[in-house]
Amino acid sequence: MSWGAQGRLLAVSLLVAAQFGAGPWAGKTARASAGATTSEPLVYASPVEILFSPDGGRLYVLCQQSGEVRVLDAATFKPMATVAVGNVPRGFALSPDGARLFVANSWDDSVSVIDTRSLQVTATWPVGAEPSALAADPAGKFLFVTNRISNDVAVLDAQTGTEEKRLAAGRGASYMTASADGSRLYVTHVYPILPAHGSALGNRTPPESEITVIDTARAVVADRIPLHSVAGVFHVAISADGRLGAVAELHPKNLVPLAHLEHGWAFEDTLTLFGADVGAQPIEIPLDELERYAARPFGIAITPDKSRLYVSNGGSEMVTAIDVSRLLRTVQARGQSFVEDLSASANYVVARIAVGHDPRGATLTPNGRRLFVANRLDDTISVIDTRTNRLAATIPLDGPKKISVLRYGEQTFYTARYSFQGQIGCANCHIDSTFDGLTWDLEPDGFGVDIVENKMLEGVKDLAPYKWNGANPNLPTECGPRTEKYFWRSESFDDLTLADLVLYIRSLQPRPNRWQSTDNQLSAAQERGKQIFERTQDNFGKPIPEENRCSYCHSGVQGTNRKLFDVGSKKPTDSSGLLKTPQLTNVALTAPYLHDGSAPTLEEIWTVNNPADKHGRTNDLTKNQLNDLIEYLRMR
Amino acid sequence: MTLLFRVLVAAVPIGFLTLICGFTTEGANQNAEIRGDVIVTAAPVYVPRAELRGHERFPKGAQLLLIHSGKAEPLIDGFAASADANVSFDAQTVLFAGKRNASDPWQIWELALNDRSVRRVITTAGDAERPLYLPGGRMVWAQRTAAGFQLQSAEDGHPMAAAPWNPTAGPGTLPLTYVGGNAFPADVLHDGRILFEAGYPLGQGAIPELYLVYADGSGVESVRCDHGRARWGGTQLGSGDVIFTHGTSLARFTSPMAHEEPVGAPQATFAGAIAETPSGAWLLSARTATDAHYVIRSWQPGSAQMQTVLAQSGMDLVEPVMVAPRNRPNRHPSGLHPWNYANLLALDARVSRDGALHGVPASVRLESQDAAGHAKTMGEAPVERDGSFFVQVPSDRPIRFALLDSKGEVLRQERGWFWIRSGEQRICVGCHAGPERAPENRVPQVLLRTTTPVDLTGKQSASVPSTTAGGLSR
Repeated sequence: MSWGAQGRLLAVSLLVAAQFGAGPWAGKTARASAGATTSEPLVYASPVEILFSPDGGRLYVLCQQSGEVRVLDAATFKPMATVAVGNVPRGFALSPDGARLFVANSWDDSVSVIDTRSLQVTATWPVGAEPSALAADPAGKFLFVTNRISNDVAVLDAQTGTEEKRLAAGRGASYMTASADGSRLYVTHVYPILPAHGSALGNRTPPESEITVIDTARAVVADRIPLHSVAGVFHVAISADGRLGAVAELHPKNLVPLAHLEHGWAFEDTLTLFGADVGAQPIEIPLDELERYAARPFGIAITPDKSRLYVSNGGSEMVTAIDVSRLLRTVQARGQSFVEDLSASANYVVARIAVGHDPRGATLTPNGRRLFVANRLDDTISVIDTRTNRLAATIPLDGPKKISVLRYGEQTFYTARYSFQGQIGCANCHIDSTFDGLTWDLEPDGFGVDIVENKMLEGVKDLAPYKWNGANPNLPTECGPRTEKYFWRSESFDDLTLADLVLYIRSLQPRPNRWQSTDNQLSAAQERGKQIFERTQDNFGKPIPEENRCSYCHSGVQGTNRKLFDVGSKKPTDSSGLLKTPQLTNVALTAPYLHDGSAPTLEEIWTVNNPADKHGRTNDLTKNQLNDLIEYLRMR
Repeated sequence: MTLLFRVLVAAVPIGFLTLICGFTTEGANQNAEIRGDVIVTAAPVYVPRAELRGHERFPKGAQLLLIHSGKAEPLIDGFAASADANVSFDAQTVLFAGKRNASDPWQIWELALNDRSVRRVITTAGDAERPLYLPGGRMVWAQRTAAGFQLQSAEDGHPMAAAPWNPTAGPGTLPLTYVGGNAFPADVLHDGRILFEAGYPLGQGAIPELYLVYADGSGVESVRCDHGRARWGGTQLGSGDVIFTHGTSLARFTSPMAHEEPVGAPQATFAGAIAETPSGAWLLSARTATDAHYVIRSWQPGSAQMQTVLAQSGMDLVEPVMVAPRNRPNRHPSGLHPWNYANLLALDARVSRDGALHGVPASVRLESQDAAGHAKTMGEAPVERDGSFFVQVPSDRPIRFALLDSKGEVLRQERGWFWIRSGEQRICVGCHAGPERAPENRVPQVLLRTTTPVDLTGKQSASVPSTTAGGLSR
């Protein structure tokens, strides 16, 4: 027996017998597949973005897992240099003259500045929370940085890195593209904007997102282009003539019961088009077909002559090629969004080109003849000939050639191949292995009942049981039979693949908490909040029953005793008020709150949703005390 | 008549021994394109679509032939009639419909290709035809019943090495279709759904049409809603396209299109299922103006000519099947609840390919059929202002809906019948919205008013309350 089989069988045994007990899935099987070939904990390149140098001679490849910029000869694709940068780099950009390359290190909250002549890091600038993308203004005055956690765009002095101001962007601000003349930046965000307080349906309104348009000369927000019913927005492309913009996005169906997958029932994969070619109103268009999906559109590029538009589809592991003139004719004929028509893409999609695992950033050569796509989970770059719309080459990056257990688990997490007709994968609802900020109506409970908020995955490894009702005893049950039956609606993983997937999910560590000080000292407000969290008496000196103290249910490092309680949040449409205590890890990031997402902010958990003090004794708290409690919770 | 039939059926195998000499090819190069063995059904008389009228397709008998190294020979010994070959995913066995004796009904048998042994897979009362392997150790076939030929499934005798997490169906025979008329399986699609032929409108019409159903009988729907002309004999290619016979020509369904597209094949009369060769050529049963009978021909899509693979004087050759391993379709993990009823939610009953309603729907009326097949009103439920309604309906029997205005006048009536499986929770975008129509992302008003469906089952349902089937939580 090869090691791979032995190792993963061992993993299965460990998962089943040692850690979880023999659940109902034990000994069952689904589809067999190839998988991991080594148990070694390998570090891969994981390319996510690609840039050409201004002269077209170099290819810069941003490698997320290895924390590097790889520099390749653009003609031969041979490695020229490797520049180490920070932790989990997510985006990069060149200065207008190409002399400097800025890299956003998302888990370090820093920007690495690389001198492109020496290929050395010449500076590392501290920036905001989880920097994700960068862009420089044409004059070289400003450097703009999107901050995913603080939901804004920081404006830095491009020479010193000094932050001058911040511009409010959408929730989870992440990707940014400049117009051809550099006068505008188009910023997207990966989590939907939280609904306004007191909206009619509260947590049951369509998600809203936006493209934040920034005037680079003045460093101000010039416009906000609304994206209705969209949650999960990724790259933008702007045509060279500035008349056509397109953004890759997810169109979830979280408000209709998820009874099946056919006919785009869980997600549609769409673009929103905007600009003079489209007209006054943006128009959303589908990329999917009746029986085939363009799962998780991410990267996007428009050829210089505006003849073709390309979209990388992470879940479908392909690139969608669109004829722009046919697209615009269709858009002009329809005059409004037509996202519900799955037959529409036949009018403008001209090719679907298979590439590698989880294709991400897509970049065209300056002449538009070739498209380069970074296959994050393959450590390869696909090169597509834009005249034939065929794969011309696949460039392997240096690094491990074996597939580790975690790598295979991650590939399984990000692919859509296991779901019915390839519509969705784990990463649809767990964007970048996190969450999606949405509430869903899942079918098994009945229609319109037991609406549930989707939770963060990081740090979940020891939080069994799972689900809000605590009904799933372990991750193999959660990710195996339950996912097959109620999400994929199609034959799913085999046991070994499931084991690798579970090991990957268990490996997800919480990202750094930005509300914690670097020396782990609590601020005064956090210290006061901690006292409230742990108090045993209320403001009137009356003892608080143990089970009604914050620290009882939300105990331990992760802030959960993993038991079920009724905290008074049951709605008429809920079948039970007993809910598993959620973890507090990075709770500041994971709005909306409560099991059904009915509290858009932490504050509203208590100000609106705790009239009977069942969710802890809080009605005696002053406004300032509640603020302190929240300050403490944010640093958990 | 019966005696004549028996004589003719008995004569068929004898006839083959000589008719094989009529095997013609058009040169080694052409045949070299057909790599691997092919099984076909040979019959003195083949009546296309007769089965959809409940009649015999092969009134003078039929026999399976194996085309091996350019020569045809009987595939199976000891049968008075054999037809409908379906090769297993690993190409080790062949399901077929056979009659040991001419007077027997068609039954489902399996041939092991390594030793040519034959076993009876299942014994049923009445004809059992057109078997297909399903993933998960099951098979589907058309069973003659009092209500016509109905799709049924059962174990194929090859249990999975380990039980699946979520089986498609429990042990034993499971009916998959629940409306009157005749239904025949055509293919099992890559996504695990069963493509089948039945009349249009479903449950009452006579125009052959192609439908889809999951392997647990849930989710029945038309493949496409551009109904009209006869469509039958569907086969899914490796590309995902479904090729079928449209009238007597070929047409296809493709994933991007909401309507069928013509196939530019040479002029001929085509008959039913095709086979795709490893080189991408199609094996077709076709009859040109100069042919007295259907002939197996090879056609490379895009080319101007078909090439004859096998012709036999006095014989119709149909149902070509490649003997080669193929990708196993995905098994359907059934999500049916343990209920004796079903729920249906319509998001907007006003949405239809038939155009705008001439009035505002106020209620929806459910009809079912009694044992005699007569329509029976089960009750009415309100339609919300946004067109949504939520009803509990009788399961595993024909149902149809009509939209009524506030005066009770019918605004729109379903043309045919359909069914919802016991324990199925089904949602439709609209009434005849078509598979190209995805739902809007909004909460239907009916679910804001109530999450309890209007009971139109006509009886007190024995519900299993709340939530989960099979002990899993969503």
